[in-house]
Amino acid sequence: MPALEARGLSKTYRKGARPVRALDRVDLAIDRGRLFAFLGRNGAGKTTFIKIASTLLLPSEGELRLFGHDVVREPSTVRRQMALVPQEGKLFYHMTPREHVYEYLRVRGVSAEAAKSRTDAILDEMGLLAYQNVIALRLSGGLQQRTLVAMVLATEAPFLFLDEPTLGMDPFARRQVWEVIRKATHRGSTVLLTTHYLDEAEQLSEELAVIEGGRVLYRGTGEMLKATVRREVRVQIAGEVRPEELASFGKVFAERGRTVVLTSRASVRELTDLGLARGAEVTVGPVTLEEAFLELVGRGIEEEE
Amino acid sequence: MSVGSQAYAALRICYFNGIIPLWRSPLLIAAVFLTPFSFLFFLFVIAPHALFPYGVVGGVLFTALFTGNGMLNDCAYLRLERQLQQVFVASPVTPLAYILGMALSELAFSLPAMTLFVGILFVVHPISALAGAGLVGLLLLTWLMATSLGFFISTLFSQLREIWPIGTLVFSILSILPPIFYPATEIPAHWRWVAYLAPSTFAAQLADRFAGLGGTITTGVPFLDSPFFDLAGLAAFALLFGAAALFFARWREN
Repeated sequence: MPALEARGLSKTYRKGARPVRALDRVDLAIDRGRLFAFLGRNGAGKTTFIKIASTLLLPSEGELRLFGHDVVREPSTVRRQMALVPQEGKLFYHMTPREHVYEYLRVRGVSAEAAKSRTDAILDEMGLLAYQNVIALRLSGGLQQRTLVAMVLATEAPFLFLDEPTLGMDPFARRQVWEVIRKATHRGSTVLLTTHYLDEAEQLSEELAVIEGGRVLYRGTGEMLKATVRREVRVQIAGEVRPEELASFGKVFAERGRTVVLTSRASVRELTDLGLARGAEVTVGPVTLEEAFLELVGRGIEEEE
Repeated sequence: MSVGSQAYAALRICYFNGIIPLWRSPLLIAAVFLTPFSFLFFLFVIAPHALFPYGVVGGVLFTALFTGNGMLNDCAYLRLERQLQQVFVASPVTPLAYILGMALSELAFSLPAMTLFVGILFVVHPISALAGAGLVGLLLLTWLMATSLGFFISTLFSQLREIWPIGTLVFSILSILPPIFYPATEIPAHWRWVAYLAPSTFAAQLADRFAGLGGTITTGVPFLDSPFFDLAGLAAFALLFGAAALFFARWREN
């Protein structure tokens, strides 16, 4: 049995004159102990999906089961097995990171002893020991976010919903959080993560889904996603080559003073020869997940239009 | 969660949402005390001194009623601005434990002010220990009624800007217009039924009875003139708002 299974899940918001379809017949299954990433533009439906799965929101149609329990009919059963980092969540301004983690564990019914040891461990792992007794009001945005994530990861809940967990964190802090998230899955927790950082999805997730306009456009691994795009090779050219000359090879754009061409394998030889003949420096590599994502979502938008 | 765990969860919420902020920002106590004390001050200056005990009882009751406004604002703030209610919804914490914990936090904020007003009452108009116990029971029922209403209203809106004026409006109407700071007999006879539309009228009548102040409405019908009618009225409102908070409040969005 999968940890999470959605069938025909739809959600229509009826605010204002025009109803908005945020999710459109989504079918999705996430296996236990997996780290699954949800990618999509703003308003694509990621947060709506997480809200329904974490029992914050009722679906309009379809069903979603968490460890076999229906989130609509058995909310109290599924709530025992989950914890959530909400999108743009903030802390109690008057409490310290230590108090946040410890108190949240105690409220959830964790014993004093276990709560203390888990609090010590997570504060250490998340690099929060130096700030453990500083009230949230005096913490930077990144440290506050780290505390919120620590509070939720310390629960060791079987299912963790992380809605943009590393928002506003510096690259070091993000890597620290990634490590703790990985540990959570090694321990057996299933993680559903949404993020706009494609490198994060690539680094962390074993599987991902791309959602656009409330529909799942793609589901598989990041590597497979990169392989499915029409232009799977990235050629970077630094030198006297005009972008117009390269337009026939694929998608051309400028990046930090260099010209980047996303092209097919078949065109790579011709393109590199052209660049080298002009004395330019040419670098060839696979497309990044971000480029594959942009290509896929761009195609999805075109098809919709 | 078992009943014991829920009660424990509620107490912990009260600790970190009520006791910790009070400990770190004691000025919050003054903020709660200020409005009813201002009313009392004006009464002292402009009204006959015989009405002063009504003002003191009114101050206690006003403080208990305004826990509802605090509840409304705090719950809305935690849900809409901090997204923290969501962290508790997606957890084993039950709505009852969360509501009770938040309500207890509001009680913690108001307790110093209520104690001060009760202390003033004992000085200016001494009451028996039994009447004092009755007054405490009444304040607890009023707190339950007001915080239930506050939580229920807080879940109906999706914008903080909409909620702030609603809270002030509802709880000002409940706390100022009914006979809280003055005897109910001051209301013209043909308008007295209107006063009974507000739960605070029942609470005020009971409080005045416990304090032995008189000035309660009489109709000539023994049951309607008895404290049991006021108790039944207040309890009915408390049950109604409690049920609204537990069963009709939007713990989960539609």
